[in-house]
Amino acid sequence: MSALKSILVAMILAISTSFYAQTADEIIDNYFENTGGKENWQKLEGITMKGVMKMQNMEIPFEQVMMKDGRQATTIELQGNKMVWAAYDGETSWSRNQMTMEAEKSDNEATENMKKQSKDWPSPFLNYKEKGYTVELIGNETVDGTDTFKIKVTKDPIMVNGQSQPNISHYYFDTENFVPIIVEEQINEGPMKGQKIKMSISDYQEVEGLYFPFSQSSDFQSMDFKEFVLNPELEETLFTFPEGK
Amino acid sequence: MNRKFIIASLAILFSIHLQAQEVVLKGKELFGNLKARQIGPALMSGRIIDLENHPTNDRILYAGTAGGGVWKSSNGGASFASIFDDHAQSIGVVKVDPNDPDNTVWVGTGEIWTRNSVSIGDGLYKSTDGGSNWKKMGFENSERISSIEINPKNSNEIYVGVLGALWGDSEERGVYKTIDGGKTWEKILYVNQKTGATDIIMDPKNPNTLYAAMWEFRRTAWGFNSGGANSALYKSTDAGKTWNKIHNGFPEGDLGRFALAIAPSNPQIIYSVIESKENKGLYRSEDAGASWKLLNGDFGLVVRPFYFSRLVVDPKNPDILVKGGLFGSISRDGGKTFKNLGNMHADIHDIVFDINNSDRMYVGTDGGVYRSWDGGSTMDMVDNLPVSQFYHISVDNEEPYNIYGGLQDNGSWWGPSSSPGGIEARDWNPVGYGDGFRVLKHPTKNIIYSEMQGAQNVWRYDVDKNYTKNIQPLPIKGEADLRFNWNAPMAVSSHQPNRFYMASQFLHVSEDMGDNWKKISPDLTTNDPAKQDKESGGISVDKSGAETHTTIFTIAESPIDEKIIWIGTDDGNVQVTQDGGTTWTNTVANIEGLPKNTWVYHIEASVHNKGTAYAVFDGHTSGDMNTYVYKTSDFGKTWKSLATSDIKGFARNIQEDYVKEDLLYLGTEFGLFITIDGGKNWSRFTNNMPATAVHFIDLQKKTNDLVLGTHGRGVIIIDDISPLRQINQEMLSKDVHFFAAKPSIIKEEGGFGGGSTELQFKGDNPGSSAKIIYYLKKRHTFGKMTLSIQDEKGNKIIDLVPGKSKGINIVDWNFRKKGPKVAAGKTFTFGGFTAPRASAGKYKIVLTKGKKQYESTITLQNDPTSIITEKERISHKNATQELFNDMEDLAYLVYKIDENIKKAEALNKKDPASQKVTSAVIKELNALKETLVVTTGDNYVAEAEPQLREKLSKLYGEVANQFEKPSFAKLENKEVLETRLNEGKATYEKINGKQIAKLNKYLTKAGDTPAQILTKQEFLSK
Repeated sequence: MSALKSILVAMILAISTSFYAQTADEIIDNYFENTGGKENWQKLEGITMKGVMKMQNMEIPFEQVMMKDGRQATTIELQGNKMVWAAYDGETSWSRNQMTMEAEKSDNEATENMKKQSKDWPSPFLNYKEKGYTVELIGNETVDGTDTFKIKVTKDPIMVNGQSQPNISHYYFDTENFVPIIVEEQINEGPMKGQKIKMSISDYQEVEGLYFPFSQSSDFQSMDFKEFVLNPELEETLFTFPEGK
Repeated sequence: MNRKFIIASLAILFSIHLQAQEVVLKGKELFGNLKARQIGPALMSGRIIDLENHPTNDRILYAGTAGGGVWKSSNGGASFASIFDDHAQSIGVVKVDPNDPDNTVWVGTGEIWTRNSVSIGDGLYKSTDGGSNWKKMGFENSERISSIEINPKNSNEIYVGVLGALWGDSEERGVYKTIDGGKTWEKILYVNQKTGATDIIMDPKNPNTLYAAMWEFRRTAWGFNSGGANSALYKSTDAGKTWNKIHNGFPEGDLGRFALAIAPSNPQIIYSVIESKENKGLYRSEDAGASWKLLNGDFGLVVRPFYFSRLVVDPKNPDILVKGGLFGSISRDGGKTFKNLGNMHADIHDIVFDINNSDRMYVGTDGGVYRSWDGGSTMDMVDNLPVSQFYHISVDNEEPYNIYGGLQDNGSWWGPSSSPGGIEARDWNPVGYGDGFRVLKHPTKNIIYSEMQGAQNVWRYDVDKNYTKNIQPLPIKGEADLRFNWNAPMAVSSHQPNRFYMASQFLHVSEDMGDNWKKISPDLTTNDPAKQDKESGGISVDKSGAETHTTIFTIAESPIDEKIIWIGTDDGNVQVTQDGGTTWTNTVANIEGLPKNTWVYHIEASVHNKGTAYAVFDGHTSGDMNTYVYKTSDFGKTWKSLATSDIKGFARNIQEDYVKEDLLYLGTEFGLFITIDGGKNWSRFTNNMPATAVHFIDLQKKTNDLVLGTHGRGVIIIDDISPLRQINQEMLSKDVHFFAAKPSIIKEEGGFGGGSTELQFKGDNPGSSAKIIYYLKKRHTFGKMTLSIQDEKGNKIIDLVPGKSKGINIVDWNFRKKGPKVAAGKTFTFGGFTAPRASAGKYKIVLTKGKKQYESTITLQNDPTSIITEKERISHKNATQELFNDMEDLAYLVYKIDENIKKAEALNKKDPASQKVTSAVIKELNALKETLVVTTGDNYVAEAEPQLREKLSKLYGEVANQFEKPSFAKLENKEVLETRLNEGKATYEKINGKQIAKLNKYLTKAGDTPAQILTKQEFLSK
């Protein structure tokens, strides 16, 4: 009930400010204001997201952990087997080989890119200047039938197949309530290289004062979150590359 | 098969970060996530205008196309991705800023190879992020931008060459300069309203030295003129302040178009190909333009200058140069002699050399991009550039239906709207040479009509016999020569299957599929001799027939009455007969606001009323870019304009909806526009629909698919537009509205397909899932939203992923229910990923948004072509359900075993004294488990011997995936496996009664508790 009230408050607040929001910074500030406040986002040390991933006919329960220092781990449950599918312990990024189900280290570029990505916590927009990121308001665009502010964020370049490549994402913030509803990223490898993938974000709900999107979906898969656990207590081994296992 | 997909998806997962008035909805607000499907094809690709490479990264290459926008490759030309979808798709030039080549790219729009069918541009664009976002930088009325040169030491200093309007005078032409990065522009070289800039070249070593080629040219609907007294080559040595003609050694008299190139390795050497009556050919200067010498006048160099005027010098060797042309020519002796480039599609427009290795070359042709690794002698086509340029399309009534159409310089083709594994190159079949235009299927026979330019050939192709006959109408003794349009109209009757129409200046009809012809009209055009230019071309005569004018362009037989026929001519007449051709009335004078002699591009005779027709006029060939769309309801006595300011671009085609009269689809030079209120408001359709020229629209009657023939992006389909028919004020004011839908057919198919490599374009299939279509008044962003399917009793069958857009949402349901819970083993069992199919019948759709719930129903129907009986279906359903239950029984059994083993192992660790009790449990249970699931090996060649789970899931998967009753062999196999399952259960009970009972006793004694086993119900719903 209280969540609903705060949504209403947030929305009214949003409507009343939408006419003034013109710069990228104002939009981003509004976003943080409407989703719990910058201070609270800054305090966030880590998060566990539990949910179900849907692809084709499959529903795969998963738990994804992300920590402030960049460590992360994705645990999935498939045919009764629960396993850490992929993780990064701050130094080593790894995932399971689909054939052997054994852990294998990611290639050096992927690991380096993962390290860079650590800075995104908990949002690339939070203190983006300190992160060395730049943001730009591209303009208004209608996506999902809704008027949005299209904001480009340029992060540290990443390495792809031996070459440094710009790392750009676009976030579409709903002009009514200033939360992103679409995130667009370029595909850097494979047959779809150069094309863009759009992730639709919705079902924002409050968790201990912060708003999280409980649904994220693209043309390829969707994730339906059941629970967000803030500042979880975890075993260090969760992230570690399982040597010889 | 799913393995790869899982890997890919998990990789994606891992990389994702958290993160009462009249309702008039326009554009995306209305269309929501109703999306177009681009099916190419790419096998013949389309015209490429300009290639541009990155100065330091040889993996990056840009291709500017005639009607398909800009494409970028970041893998050395292996594959390309579109980066300019939202803007004018006709490109003149692409330029990478040498000072910031990773990010800053400029695009000048408007094709510069000025053939009759070129589209138009709308200005200059800049991207500062490698093509992700584009900003307009002026020159809105330039129509065509030919060149952009950037000072290699100063990104703010840029020169732009404006070729300008093709069909009219323009003051926008000339050379422009900015010194503030494009904020302001100064015109620094202007000749007159007829003479535009075709090339600007900057000396690579001295940015103050510039060369500019100016060309006097003009096209009309009936002619083309290249050249005049004002065509000239200029040079500036003071950064464009002053310009001097550099014609020392050039031919005297009127000149035409120049090709111009400077040798990057030695800027003193300049080449130019000159269009002239006398002494035309390649000229070379070795003193930076001060004097010129004619070297060569070969056909390959001088042919069709308006179409081929690109000259490129090897970046390392000043004596190697390549000229665009019919086949392309290369010289390795400084221009003295030439030979043709390797075998590829004819009509070469641009060439680039790789920055590091001149043996690697890229070539842009009328049929896509080619690449060479041996200096241009062997050419390999890029297979994933779907920039095909259709002039016309039509569809048949097959299932799946086929699309027929003709393309610019790429013949005529037909291919399916759906094909196993996706629509691939091999699915398309040729049905004509040359330039292809209209291609029509005989309504009842397996016969296709097609044609080439100017009806030089009109083919009747018998598909079954693989036999072709030329059936073009010919002039009759004592009568006038026939004037056929370049894109000559043809039509099949919807009343008499063998009736076939063609039109020159007369309407011709055949009652025997083109064997014999009868003229059923007088000359319906203005027959204005001033518009019948037989010597088109200017300095270089260019007689291709492309300029034949005062011809009929469109034929529309009324679908209601075969006696009513509408005719539209390229010189602006709208004629109608109501008596099968005996009398004709020209109604064009009744149209208000339409300039005289405006080309009638299309007439659509209504299916709703005899007297109703729509006419679309296109004035672009007289320089008039306005939109003209009219409707008559009284056989042309009065006409009403349906054009509003919502529409962008001149229109070429309109399609009426067969059901809802107020629903209309309009194709313009900048995309597709749709009205749901009879033309009061128009919405541009942009969901996966680029701003490409839509030349023809057809609406498939069975599927309600809107099929677009675009001139630059191939065939684009919007599957099933029937929801648009249901839009009204009442539903628009509701929060949620479910659209009524026809029953969904569970197609009984399953086969193979997909022979393409990852570098070959493949068009998406329409998808055979059931569609749940609803309207949301507002995008769902806050709070939970779910969508599920329930059976009629209210039991949940499956959760779907709801669409949350404002407007129309389409959610697919692949007819599958939830899959079984699978026993845990060491590896995966792929049959276990199979979900059973829902049976035919009625289901509830339940959409929950916050606390509110909205319901609708959906009906599934079996494939009407199926031969499976109801009784057999019941056997199939029962067998599937039993195997499903077996799978879950086994899963529960293995779960119980695992829980007890875990408990025993934990106790053993904690309390070594328990070893006797625990090891008995562990040993017995493991021995049992090893017979039930694999406990070793991997998912590939180290796979373990299959156990019960593997065998059971294989059988289950096969049975669940088929439609028919399982074979006796399968049923027997089922019995064998079920016996094993029951034995396993019995063995477990035995162990449970003995070893586990002992363990539990021990545990209780020690103050511990036995393993906590969930009930089966709890386990399954976990």
